[in-house]
Amino acid sequence: MTPLLAHVCTPQSMGDWRHLLAVIWDFLSLSLFSLGGGNTLLSEYHHLSVDQYCWLSSRQFADIYALAEAAPGPSSMIVGLLGMGAAVQEGPLWGVLSGVSAELAILLPSTLLMVAASLSWKRLRDAPIRVAFERGLGPITLGILFAVGLKILRISDHDTPAYAVSAVVCVLMLRTKISPLWFMAVAAVLGGLGLVNR
Amino acid sequence: MDPQLDPRPPLHTPNHWELFVGMQQVALSSFGGGLSAWSERIVVEQRRWMGEQDFLTGLTVARLLPGPNQINMAVYVGSRFYGLSGALVALGGMLLLPFSLLMLLGLGYYYLHETLWVDRLLAGVITASAGMALSMGFKIAHSYTRDPVALGIAAVSFLAMDVFHVRLIPLVLVAGPLAMAWYWPRRTPQP
Repeated sequence: MTPLLAHVCTPQSMGDWRHLLAVIWDFLSLSLFSLGGGNTLLSEYHHLSVDQYCWLSSRQFADIYALAEAAPGPSSMIVGLLGMGAAVQEGPLWGVLSGVSAELAILLPSTLLMVAASLSWKRLRDAPIRVAFERGLGPITLGILFAVGLKILRISDHDTPAYAVSAVVCVLMLRTKISPLWFMAVAAVLGGLGLVNR
Repeated sequence: MDPQLDPRPPLHTPNHWELFVGMQQVALSSFGGGLSAWSERIVVEQRRWMGEQDFLTGLTVARLLPGPNQINMAVYVGSRFYGLSGALVALGGMLLLPFSLLMLLGLGYYYLHETLWVDRLLAGVITASAGMALSMGFKIAHSYTRDPVALGIAAVSFLAMDVFHVRLIPLVLVAGPLAMAWYWPRRTPQP
């Protein structure tokens, strides 16, 4: 086995306050970079939780992304599930506390900025910086969303039937108004029958 | 619309409690999806907290600024009445129920995901969610197809992230200002 494959990721304890502060800082700073409604952050979430802090396996990340998409409410709440994954082995209470903290950290900075912008929107609306921000960041968001989509595709699908299902769902998402919950339900049946595998 | 012709009841300023309950109603109604349509129905039509125009402005601001759009919309509604405290109350109302439910689902997941049948079902579900993730880029791509510079910026951002594994924050910090400089509105020359 090559050393690369043998690399074992060991999670650090959240009991170490310096580690905890580092994690909170990571989420706080990502908050202001959540363009395009927050989906641009998904690659970063994967990087933090799988590669950097080893809270989850790539496989678990794919699972909780699906869970957050299927659950009612904004799918950006996936951060709560990541936080939970960081501490759930200490018990359910720590899992929930950690999940709530992660969600608060990711929402706080963008919320403060949103309050400021809502209150000063009359002046901001026609400011050149508003126009430049909207038109300049749009294409960057577009490129990032494609990268994020491919990333999630790669960590989720590993055989041809799986890729085929994803491709069909992608086309149906763009061409129809069918609720995505139906796609997930049908795909769950395919998984249950063993027609698609990891 | 001329306010005198508007047959709907006059606008009503909610107090903090009403904000909280109203946002919970929005969250609950949208459990099957369509959150922005529901928030318009409840905020503009049923509870009459703001007019159509104000609401649409909110949608614009919520989409423009960083943060999840629906959550930003709640923050906009709350902050218009009571600034930061209104924003926090609206946010709490919007998130309390769905987030609690998600935490329960999460606990269920972390304790059961090694069970064979749960793993099997999830192996299927993630193929669908991967398809949904893939559609995100295509969904907004049509707005940029006529602007070669925008497509170039998008391609560079994509390659930076996908091929060269540049992290999001440095990418946006470098590409953002450059793109903004390119699109900075120029004063039209006076004849």
